Amino acid sequence: MIVLEELTKQFGEDVTAVDRLSLSVSPGEVYGLLGPNGAGKTTTLRMVLGLLEPTSGEASIHGFRSSEDPTEIKRRIGLVSASAGHYQWLTPRETFEYFGCGYGMTDDAVRSRIDDLAETMAIVDFLDRRCAHLSTGQQQRVTLARALFHDPPVVLLDEPTRGLDVVGAQVVFDYVGRLRDEGKAVVVCTHQLEEAERLCDRFGLLHRGRLRHEGDLEELRTSTGRRTLVEMFLALLEADRSVDGEP
Amino acid sequence: MNDVGRASLPTWRQQARFTRKELRETLRDRRTIVTLVLMPVLLYPLLGLGFRFVAIQQIAAEEPEYRLVTRTEQEGLWLQQALNAGDRLLPASASPDDRPPTPRLQLFTLEEPTRLALEQVVASGEATLGVDVVFADPVGDGPEVQVDLLRGRESVAGRDAADYVAERLRAYNLAEVDRRVRLQGGELRLPVVERLLLVDSPESPSAILGLLPLVLLLMTVTGGVYPAIDLTAGERERGTLESLMALPVPRFQLLAAKFVAVVAVTMLTGMMNLLAMSVTVHVLQLEALVFGEAGLTWGLGVKLMTVLTTFAVFYSAVLLAITGSARSFKEAQAYLIPLLLLSLAPGMVILLPGWTLNYGTAVVPLVNMLLLARSLFEGDASLGAGLAATVSTLFYTLVALSLAARVFGNDAVASGSSGSWGELVRRPPHGSAAPSVNVVLLTLAMLFPAYFTASGLLARGTESPIGQRLVLSSVLTVTLFALLPGLLAWWHRVRFDSGFRVRGAHWLVWPAAVVLGLTAWPLVFQLVVWLKALGWGSFDAETAKRVEELLVAWKSVSPLVVVVAMGIVPGVCEELFFRGFLFAGLRTQLGGWNSVYVSAVAFGLFHVVLAGGAAPERFVPSLLMGFLLGWVAWRSGSVLPSILVHVTHNSLLVTVATYRDQLAGWGLGGEETESLPPTWLAASVAGLLVGVLLLSLSNRMHDSGTEAPPSTS
Repeated sequence: MIVLEELTKQFGEDVTAVDRLSLSVSPGEVYGLLGPNGAGKTTTLRMVLGLLEPTSGEASIHGFRSSEDPTEIKRRIGLVSASAGHYQWLTPRETFEYFGCGYGMTDDAVRSRIDDLAETMAIVDFLDRRCAHLSTGQQQRVTLARALFHDPPVVLLDEPTRGLDVVGAQVVFDYVGRLRDEGKAVVVCTHQLEEAERLCDRFGLLHRGRLRHEGDLEELRTSTGRRTLVEMFLALLEADRSVDGEP
Repeated sequence: MNDVGRASLPTWRQQARFTRKELRETLRDRRTIVTLVLMPVLLYPLLGLGFRFVAIQQIAAEEPEYRLVTRTEQEGLWLQQALNAGDRLLPASASPDDRPPTPRLQLFTLEEPTRLALEQVVASGEATLGVDVVFADPVGDGPEVQVDLLRGRESVAGRDAADYVAERLRAYNLAEVDRRVRLQGGELRLPVVERLLLVDSPESPSAILGLLPLVLLLMTVTGGVYPAIDLTAGERERGTLESLMALPVPRFQLLAAKFVAVVAVTMLTGMMNLLAMSVTVHVLQLEALVFGEAGLTWGLGVKLMTVLTTFAVFYSAVLLAITGSARSFKEAQAYLIPLLLLSLAPGMVILLPGWTLNYGTAVVPLVNMLLLARSLFEGDASLGAGLAATVSTLFYTLVALSLAARVFGNDAVASGSSGSWGELVRRPPHGSAAPSVNVVLLTLAMLFPAYFTASGLLARGTESPIGQRLVLSSVLTVTLFALLPGLLAWWHRVRFDSGFRVRGAHWLVWPAAVVLGLTAWPLVFQLVVWLKALGWGSFDAETAKRVEELLVAWKSVSPLVVVVAMGIVPGVCEELFFRGFLFAGLRTQLGGWNSVYVSAVAFGLFHVVLAGGAAPERFVPSLLMGFLLGWVAWRSGSVLPSILVHVTHNSLLVTVATYRDQLAGWGLGGEETESLPPTWLAASVAGLLVGVLLLSLSNRMHDSGTEAPPSTS
């Protein structure tokens, strides 16, 4: 269970990247944190992960609070990021061994988990090939497997389909479906709104660091009077332009 | 979550795996291999050839060749005879070594025997020296032979050749005058007789060796640069940093693995350079020129490796501190260029005359290690100054590492919101229970040179009254070990009680502390005696005399003042820092035992510093005392019991030293070279056991005596 309470991040005195963001995600639920570039999605994820210190507010996972138990929180999160790279000189197996060790897993546990994930994520064929020699699709599978390696109850996905073709994106959709089936609490940050509609159970519409609307698709349609997420966002942007006095 | 996510791998094993990964990744990279293997293999033969050319030039300069030209063959013959005669007539030198090198002479004549042609041949450089010999009328009043020497105005060889010829002609002249005086029955007594003696400067036999520290420095930097960039800025550039920082391990642990990898690659590069250099030198037969008369001996090899290791450790930490904040390879390279240029400056400075390793230069970063390296090559390194240089370098390494840990992996560096270097001096908005490990390490690094300098200055005031010196010593101790950490704690909003671990303790702890304080000193005293017997003493006669004078001076003031100044004030202040502030900071990252070890080592190193010098033999007893005090503070959960142990121990030692004459009848020797009676040692051991037992009992009876494991954030 992920709970964010009044989470705020300010850079300097003028820039509020995330403004009193509160939300919760239950096990088995896929939550879409949506917004245009610069809305505060990635900053939110980084605060949840403990990579950025919140200016105020709190994030908690399974009862562990980010201010008190950042290590326990990190232990319970898997991160998939579009910008995540690979150690070019290591093989996927060595990469998994390294991250498994980072999560305190024993050698036996690491071996067993590699066998398990290599099968389910279809990476058996290139498990011992250096990452530098893998195709984009193969690297993407390694990224997805790496996030799940320590079997976390919470998975955060930051723009998971960015730069992928249709086949690659489908792999991500299948992956998220499996996470839901396994009862994991999943947060997907994306500005690909059509994809989000296919992936997520519930949505939070983030704009300029603030959560403007929240609910499942039907609830959002009712509260905004719009049919699709794209229309809802365009309406949001329009309203903001009016407030700012732009034509 | 399954059990696989839980930490079940021992920390040391985890650390070993992290290090293995960093090494594997670095050593597989072709660019590292190029730096590591190919560069020295290509560089040193080229350097060696250049070096050999210079050496040949040097040899050539030692056996110069002068091309002398005369207008006619007759003049040439006369010149040849005159030079030969002059050569034989020159006064004999004290030894063959003092004779200037003999040049090879080539005489030739002109086809066109004119003065103009002679000048042209000299101006064109065809001849080193033109000699115009004019035979005068033997019956006239002028000289029998007029010799004009013609040389190029800027020609050094021409000048030397002219000196050579003129010197021999003068000798010939003088001998001829002498012969003529003798023919007339007289005797020629010269009013002035000169001799030329050649004196070697101290640097001349090892001038090339003097450059080796600089060469070593450059080799070290070259080896560490690429891995340092790749393992820090490289993580950021290839997008692996976020996943790395999401791991549930302390940042310092990740950085430590990178540090080991950079040090290892740097060391490997250094060794490869040494190997390539040795092979090149051997093949080109330059051993004596590069490594001195004895060539590359095992002893010199060990010294080179020691210097290389120290450079590797220090530079790796500095490189990581700098590249850790870079967001790309380019940025890291831009940061490193000034560092490389800065590194050259101390290398050049130490070549200047008058720069030697002493207690002043021993705390100057980089210069101290270069001077130590040079002292080792020249075989005149002092133990105290060498130790001070090494210890201060290790402290600077700690500072660099703490800075590196602070900036590494911080995305917010770009926006400057947190994690920048300025964070260490910026006041945080919220309070904290304990100082961060970076803050305490920075404090430690600030304290060491400050303590070293201040205690040295204090030692210079021997003319001041003893009372004044004791007060100054107390003020120094309070300022450095209590006020400075207190100020930093206030600035960083650290709570005093938890930040300095000033808490209550179980009642059994107090008698345990008193017993330990009263009974520890005989064992410590005996340890010093044993170490002295093993030759681990650096007390020279002058230092011993100063200590003796100090002990006599103590008797002129009230014993209470001595006990307060030398027993109570250091006991309280040093504990507040080492077992309070430092220990609390270390506990945020380390376990209890590790915090005890680290604080004990720091305590031991500080006690090596003696007013105006260093006493390495104090390290081991102080380390053990620090270990005991750390254990008491950890098990009791408070700094107060360790203060009690320290104050009791110090006060008792000071009292014993003050009243040693009166105590001599008890079997205590007046000198620190006499062992204590076995009964005293047995009593000391028994007291220690009782103290340890009481402290252990207090823990069993009161669970809160031990601290909770630290948060590993």
